[in-house]
Amino acid sequence: MNLAGFLLAEGSEDAACAWCQSYPCLASLSCWGIVAGALGLLLMLPGGWKRGRYLGVLLGCAGLGLLAADLPWFGDLAHQVFFWLLAGTALVAAVIAISVRSPIYTAIWFAISLLGVAGLFLYQEAPFLGVVTIAVYAGAIVVTFLFVLMLAQPAGHTVYDRVSWGWLPKPFAVIAAAALTGLMTFAVASLPSTAPIPTADPIAGDTATSGAPDHMANLGNTLFGTHLVSVEVAGTLLLVALVGAIAIVIHGKQPQLPNQGVEGARNDE
Amino acid sequence: MTAIILEALIKIALLIGGLMTAAAYFVLLERRIAAWIQDRRGPNRVGMPLTKLRLFGLGQPLADGVKFIFKEEYTPAHVNKVLFVAAPILILAAALAAFAVIPFGSMIPPDWFGRTEPIKLVVAPGVDVGMIYVFALSSIAVYGVILGGWASNNKYSFLGGLRSSAQLIAYEVPLGLGILAVVVAAGSLDLEAIIHAQTTQGWCFLLQPLGFLVFVVAAFAEAARLPFDLPECEQELVGGYHTEYSGIKLLLFLVAEFLHMITASFLIVILFMGGWHLPWGLTGDPAAESIGWVPAIVRIVALAVKIIAVIVFFMVVRWSWPRFRFDQLMALAWKVMLPLGVVNFVVMATVEQFGGSLSTGVKMAIGWGTFVLSWVAIAAAGPLIADNRARHDLHPSQIDSQV
Repeated sequence: MNLAGFLLAEGSEDAACAWCQSYPCLASLSCWGIVAGALGLLLMLPGGWKRGRYLGVLLGCAGLGLLAADLPWFGDLAHQVFFWLLAGTALVAAVIAISVRSPIYTAIWFAISLLGVAGLFLYQEAPFLGVVTIAVYAGAIVVTFLFVLMLAQPAGHTVYDRVSWGWLPKPFAVIAAAALTGLMTFAVASLPSTAPIPTADPIAGDTATSGAPDHMANLGNTLFGTHLVSVEVAGTLLLVALVGAIAIVIHGKQPQLPNQGVEGARNDE
Repeated sequence: MTAIILEALIKIALLIGGLMTAAAYFVLLERRIAAWIQDRRGPNRVGMPLTKLRLFGLGQPLADGVKFIFKEEYTPAHVNKVLFVAAPILILAAALAAFAVIPFGSMIPPDWFGRTEPIKLVVAPGVDVGMIYVFALSSIAVYGVILGGWASNNKYSFLGGLRSSAQLIAYEVPLGLGILAVVVAAGSLDLEAIIHAQTTQGWCFLLQPLGFLVFVVAAFAEAARLPFDLPECEQELVGGYHTEYSGIKLLLFLVAEFLHMITASFLIVILFMGGWHLPWGLTGDPAAESIGWVPAIVRIVALAVKIIAVIVFFMVVRWSWPRFRFDQLMALAWKVMLPLGVVNFVVMATVEQFGGSLSTGVKMAIGWGTFVLSWVAIAAAGPLIADNRARHDLHPSQIDSQV
């Protein structure tokens, strides 16, 4: 446990120093934020040291704070508050979703995290994406998860849970997450850093003047023009999965022996 | 900024007050209609409090509300407390939040505080994705049902929750297909723009009868009204997902159910029946930016009358059809409503793309022709005729081979 955390810190530190040379002022805060967040996440994941979870929460908050300190600051207080409320909801709910033990609560926290993401989409003047995130993810997919979880797991944990909470997969998962977050942070940070300040007022819901139909038309054109083949392939994949599910159900039925069927029929009569 | 927030808050207060009162009085209306259909008198005793005035039983909703509030709020020991409390709050909040984009009238003249533009009677005016927003929130309502059923830790509640989530997910597909053609014809997802488009093109239930049928059936199922009330069928599941609830929490569930029905009626009227407009210019010039008091009030009344008519239809249907069996429910969604919705969408999109020069009469003929032809085709295929009695003459493996 401690060894894994130590190794993780070592690995990230090396990466940090590589970045330190090219971006000296920027690398410090974000990098340490990611390291602290990863350590906190490792401590918070279920199946570990019980008291360590409090330390994990502290480390996670510190990591979030360090990452946040590197972000550009909006001029307007209302925008600042809105952004941090939504982003904080999405992130904290996502962390809770992977650190609670009950799969039902995981699904619910995942849905809350999606609400935060949808709010961020709305805030970035993409109302269609925001609302569709709720309708498709929170409304259909997570409900299906809940449905399956409630049917399949009334109590206890499956072998998959216990495997993924083991001492080996946990550090790997956390390192992968940290690497991904780090890469994306530095990819974004190397872009010209202008704070994206929305023009429309999120309170008034005044999206009519912001050209949202163009946004939707662009989205449709991109999906069904540029990426037509990908969309069709994804759709075909889903269809194949559906047919496969039905095939599994039919194959799973064991044909009964003839005399059993006759007995059952007599009992019914 | 302050004025915008104040305006929105006033509208929200009016809307929530109106909706709660409406839900209470629709309960009375439902009971009176039930009594009328079953040749009884119904609740006609409770009148004005502390007097002997009966007023046709108009005090009944007040008495019911007081009764619910003063009942003991009993939480069984075996429930999951957090989710048990969260479920009714969630379902009511989602049902109320859907009304943020649903207009309850056109607009009223700007006669106060030096305003120049008319006040739109919708909490969040000009939301371009209004239609999908309503969908998103109605799909959030499933959480209330499924979590309420699961948290109750009771097999009847759990079965109700499971049935309900399967039903609501299944019927979201035809619900979406039903409105697709309307959205394509109107060219917008904004509910006001859809109403406005119908004033020039004609009301959608005349132009797209098949889409109207699919949408109305799916709306009945989404509102869990009879014949689709499997989530809480009293004869099989005691009370379905709210078996363990009592007092004010049960009231929240019941109010949310009526709100779902009101939402469904609003959508049926707005999407298919021209919203607040009446033919022959009775409701003023639809294209005008400003409005006088008379057409403003006529529009509100027209909308209210249409909605109440749809709700009365909902209530009469309740006492006219028996409940579906679960396999029939699923067969209706996937084998009848889904193909009908696809046929309607394909025909209407073709008309929209290539039939721009057709007159309204020809479009109506196409719509009704599609309706009759596809109806006959579905009836001939007969997917709903399923004899589920045990087949003693067949071997079980023979039955399996037919699946």
